[in-house]
Amino acid sequence: MSMQPAGVFAQSYVRDMAIFRTWKQGAALGFFVLALLLVPTILGPRYVAIANIMLITSVVVLGLQITTGLAGQVNLGQAAFMGMGAYTAAALSSGQQWPFLVTVPLAGLVAALFGAIFGLAAVRIRGFYLALTTIAAQFIFVFAILNLPASWTGAAQGLRVETASVFGFVFNTDNRMYFLILAITAIMTVGAYGIARSRHGRAFVAVRDDDLAAGFTGVNVVRAKATAFFVGAFYAGVGGALWAYYIRFVAVDQFSLFNSVYYMGMVIVGGLGSMAGAFVGVFLIRAAQEILTSVGPSVADIFPALGSSVVFASVNIILGAAIALMLILEPRGVMHRFNILKRAFRLWPYPH
Amino acid sequence: MQPATASQPTVADRVPSPALSAEGLSLSFGGVKALQDVAMELRKSELLAVIGPNGAGKTSLLNCLTGFYRPQQGRVVLDGDKVISGLPTHKIARLGVSRTFQGTHLFTGMTVLDNIMIGRYSHMRTNLAQAFLYVPWTRREEVQHREFVEDIIDFLEITTVRKRVVGELGYGLRKRVDLARALAMEPSVLLMDEPMAGMNLEEKEDLARFILDVREARGIPIVIVEHDMAVVMDIADRIVVLDFGRKISEGTPAEVSGDPVVIKAYLGEAH
Ligand SMILES: Nc1ncnc2c1ncn2[C@@H]1O[C@H](COP(=O)(O)OP(=O)(O)OP(=O)(O)O)[C@@H](O)[C@H]1O
Ligand SMILES: [Mg+2]
Repeated sequence: MSMQPAGVFAQSYVRDMAIFRTWKQGAALGFFVLALLLVPTILGPRYVAIANIMLITSVVVLGLQITTGLAGQVNLGQAAFMGMGAYTAAALSSGQQWPFLVTVPLAGLVAALFGAIFGLAAVRIRGFYLALTTIAAQFIFVFAILNLPASWTGAAQGLRVETASVFGFVFNTDNRMYFLILAITAIMTVGAYGIARSRHGRAFVAVRDDDLAAGFTGVNVVRAKATAFFVGAFYAGVGGALWAYYIRFVAVDQFSLFNSVYYMGMVIVGGLGSMAGAFVGVFLIRAAQEILTSVGPSVADIFPALGSSVVFASVNIILGAAIALMLILEPRGVMHRFNILKRAFRLWPYPH
Repeated sequence: MQPATASQPTVADRVPSPALSAEGLSLSFGGVKALQDVAMELRKSELLAVIGPNGAGKTSLLNCLTGFYRPQQGRVVLDGDKVISGLPTHKIARLGVSRTFQGTHLFTGMTVLDNIMIGRYSHMRTNLAQAFLYVPWTRREEVQHREFVEDIIDFLEITTVRKRVVGELGYGLRKRVDLARALAMEPSVLLMDEPMAGMNLEEKEDLARFILDVREARGIPIVIVEHDMAVVMDIADRIVVLDFGRKISEGTPAEVSGDPVVIKAYLGEAH
């Protein structure tokens, strides 16, 4: 009856608590990591660029997976939190010449503090109204950047960013950046799993499922919600810093409400609460965006009457419709469907 | 306390202080008086039943004891000297007051195991950074509390479902998980709101046995709100009877069942 792989009886609780319980699972991870390491060698520069953006987005969406997926707090301000991180990294690297290894965690922290404010708002408001409140983060972010001294933020012009360098090694090509981004993404992923299966992760889910009962069980609900936003925004901030170092230029319109909505879409498509789902959601939606935007211009060529803005709008409508359809067919996300298949396969051909 | 009181021997010096007590609790919702000047006392390792017709104020009393409702008057004292009324629910829970719910309030998206592990939340110390890095100490702490939880799982005989998501379980099992989660908190008092409502006879007997075991093996004093009079008469040491927000009777099962006021209240409900 239990959900463990057939024939696996936990030798000890340590084994039982591990993320990978069979050698097959470990091997699958090994292959996946190997494939990721080979991306720059096998695929061309265009794909490396896409992979870089996907990985950065994954970090941001992992965070949203914690705030919204685990703790159940709707968040349409994730792009603003990301922007806070991006600007922090940009300002500290260009203005102050601070090193990458210092600016990235700091960017996370600044975003996290900004996010925690909205976590406190989540104490009194929920659902739709919380969504509206987090949208305010987008406006506060733009307002702050445009009104802070232009020498810090570049105001409407945006900010140029130094190349990332770690202990003298300069990450000045897309391929080099790929490995740097991959390393940080790996750390953030392991961290997300750590938090998810710790007492904090359980408290988040408890607050999501029944905040009353969570309180009676000793969880400080106010603090848990603020923490969920803090952690989620920290991820957005780190993702923002990576974005800044990769694009080497930041501007407010890179972090719009539009992006926040897409991040939510990625979380939902991947499956709420699933860390692996964050990657699946990012991959599927980013890939769809790539395909549609590369098909788009040729469509505009064939039917010049449509114009590029109509094509751009249709891309979003098609994607939006796909996400909506997905929600209707499998509201618990792709990862949920995958787990059902996996379980069926594992037990096959025995029904029990 | 002023030194003058120390020289006067008080009742508290001679009688062991109650595990949990309430004095003069009054609570109303608009015109509805849910509780009127209710006092109660839960003695150490005692099983106290709270009974009364529907709407008598039983759940309201439990909600005042656990900090979910703030009584307009009166106070709740834990261990004879800690005033807990006015504290937020999670603080009261951490001081050792644990409860189960009328119906269930479980975390339906989590496994049985994780639901019960939440009971250990405030006994665990891992901070965010340690969780992020999943340092060896965090792993060790997790194992240590997992062992504690597994003991409770064995005790309540829910071993076979420990990895199941609670949302998939039947009502009887859910009530047991609810109790398991409350016990995982290592409470100093346990409050149960109609744990047996909606159960069949066999499930009731099982749960009654577990409740008695909790009291015997762990010595935890228990307040149980229950409608099934047969069960109450069987397991309770003392009974408090509420009606229209007032305490109308109190005593041993024999005393209460012979009390004309109680009989009248219950007959009044029947017709
Ligand atoms: N949150 C609330 N808002 C308004 N009225 C309430 C609230 N909680 C309880 N009441 C009222 O207080 C009175 C006592 O309710 P309570 O739930 O404590 O009764 P009970 O003894 O637990 O009843 P039952 O046996 O049906 O569970 C009822 O009249 C009820 O309608
Ligand atoms: Mg009730």
